[in-house]
Amino acid sequence: MATATASKSTYGSAKKTKGQILVDWVTTTDHKKIGYLYLITSFLYFLIGGVMALVIRAQLTAPGLEIVQTKEQYNQLFTMHGTIMLLMFATPLFAAFANILMPVQIGAPDVAFPRLNAIAYWFYFFGSFVAVAGFFTPQGAASFGWFAYAPLSNTTFSPGLGGDLWVFGLALGGFGTIMGGVNFITTILTMRAPGMTMFRLPIFTWNTLVTSILVIMCFPPLAAALFALGADRRFDAHIFDPANGGPMLWQHLFWFFGHPEVYILALPFFGIISEIFPVFSRKPIFGYKTLVYATIAIAALSMTVWAHHMYVTGSVLLPFFAFTTMLIAIPTGVKVFNWIGTLWKGSVTFETPMLYSLGFLTTFIFGGLTGVILASPALDFHLSDSYFVVAHFHYVIFGTVVFAMFAGIFFWYPKMTGKMLNERLGKIQFWLLFIGFHTTFLIQHWLGVIGMPRRYATYLPEDGFTWMNQVSTVGSALLALSMIPFLWNVYITARKGEKTTLNDPWGYGRSLEWATGTPFPRHNFTSIPRVRSESPAFDLNHPEFAAAEAKAAVKKKG
Amino acid sequence: MKFNGNLFYFLTVFYFVDSAGYAVWWYNTNGGYEPIGTAAIAMLGFMSLFLAFYIKNTDKRQGVVPEDRLDGNIEDGESEIGYFAPWSWWPFFLGLFGAICFASLAVGWWLFFIGFPLALVALIGFVFERSRGLNAH
Repeated sequence: MATATASKSTYGSAKKTKGQILVDWVTTTDHKKIGYLYLITSFLYFLIGGVMALVIRAQLTAPGLEIVQTKEQYNQLFTMHGTIMLLMFATPLFAAFANILMPVQIGAPDVAFPRLNAIAYWFYFFGSFVAVAGFFTPQGAASFGWFAYAPLSNTTFSPGLGGDLWVFGLALGGFGTIMGGVNFITTILTMRAPGMTMFRLPIFTWNTLVTSILVIMCFPPLAAALFALGADRRFDAHIFDPANGGPMLWQHLFWFFGHPEVYILALPFFGIISEIFPVFSRKPIFGYKTLVYATIAIAALSMTVWAHHMYVTGSVLLPFFAFTTMLIAIPTGVKVFNWIGTLWKGSVTFETPMLYSLGFLTTFIFGGLTGVILASPALDFHLSDSYFVVAHFHYVIFGTVVFAMFAGIFFWYPKMTGKMLNERLGKIQFWLLFIGFHTTFLIQHWLGVIGMPRRYATYLPEDGFTWMNQVSTVGSALLALSMIPFLWNVYITARKGEKTTLNDPWGYGRSLEWATGTPFPRHNFTSIPRVRSESPAFDLNHPEFAAAEAKAAVKKKG
Repeated sequence: MKFNGNLFYFLTVFYFVDSAGYAVWWYNTNGGYEPIGTAAIAMLGFMSLFLAFYIKNTDKRQGVVPEDRLDGNIEDGESEIGYFAPWSWWPFFLGLFGAICFASLAVGWWLFFIGFPLALVALIGFVFERSRGLNAH
């Protein structure tokens, strides 16, 4: 009798109805489920933003096309493309990976504030919906560019409900991000397993901590700026009125958020890459401490470089911002050095996560180099607001976020679902994505150099931009096609994929998530191995190559 | 924990120095005073100072915790880590009604008068959901 009751109540054993599953997801406070919600939602926004980008590329295929009926619609498209990709795809994607992995990596059963975590997600979910709901209004969505520069963003130049919804939706989503950041910081500071000292944290967890600190530093100014803009638009507050020097105030506030935001997008994905390289090189990460200090240096500096986006205003301190911006290249270079050092003389194998990581490395280095070019005011005056900036930005952001996202998904998919994604489809997808991406954006550097400005709905045949734009459009089609093998891969894996029950399906996993069940049990661990280095799972599975400290601990205890 | 406190002290010093450097550099180049950047960076210094102070003090009160010991074993951790809510409806409703309030600022006050009471209910529900009263744990 007792046994029968016990077996019935075992977690997840009973078949659930569809309604129960829905309620399960909506009311969840499990950090992994919230992480999956983040992952799914942000990926959907990635697809939506991607479709907008395709329409933009189609419009620019030839001079004088009218694929979008009005120029206003074109403005809405690039505005919402930027907004969606940055604030509804990339930022929540950080929360997704941090939520799924960070608590497991530090050996905690959950995050510090599980319900706050759920609120953060629902604020993001509903806030994003409010921000894009402008598309369902008669005048359409916001159209002042995702920077919302004053005075263009005021009601004189951009009337309409779409802009108001954009402002308040983003404000709500921003609060969600701040709550997420607070939650991650608290979790990492207080919920580590015994023996998991700060300098034994996996690099991904370190980067989550540093990113969360950036979040609590730079999202509040955004919230303030958005509320001020909302007050201007709705209640005639005149905070960003040109008569009061409002345009400069807005630009300062926006970029004070906007630049660190780019690092919020970059750092966690550097962390993912730093987890993957050691596993597929069969070597510990090269220079663990330098990597950590480089991350901290990047984050600290990134708060002091914002006005390099404002060189052309003519009223910022050029040498100061050029200096700090170029300074950031040093810790970033240190990181690249460390990654290459990890690969160096390792026995490297090229599974899909590794391919994506290498794709990240090449793409990101290009983006970083053009960043140094743009940091120089003399060059920036020529290139600002041209397609060179578009190319630079996409190399940096697509290189880190999208390549590292797929690397992370392929890498941790077995831990999330208990099934490995198909390697062959993954490789096909990688090459389509890689070639598609570089075809789309490499050419845009030259487009910018010969003077094509960004955000223009069309151009003239005599401008000489035509063939380059056509190359770019063809590339973007290829890039879009690469999503098909991925979606097919996810579908076919769910239908026919083989279950894996190995704790460490890749064989050389290092951090704690590879020492627990596949897929993760409800509170992450049934037992936690002893932590004596930054790679406890590796020490456990390969005791003959374990860190010296781990070996000493075994000897002492027997 | 010690390192975390020091990290924020380092950030405090860095941002104060940076803010001062920025102000001086601006003064030497353009004359006068640039309020936005100077204030913004200095505020980061203050925030880092708060965090550093809090973390350092907590650290002092706590002593060395197992997760900061190089030879900490899993069994050294407290047997009970805390109470984790298994599920909750309130985050969803707080998000939904909060979004109605925020959207109402864009749409019109009439929506605010619908959204605000609902959000208030959700907020109270969220705060008191697992509450057992003062000192009753």
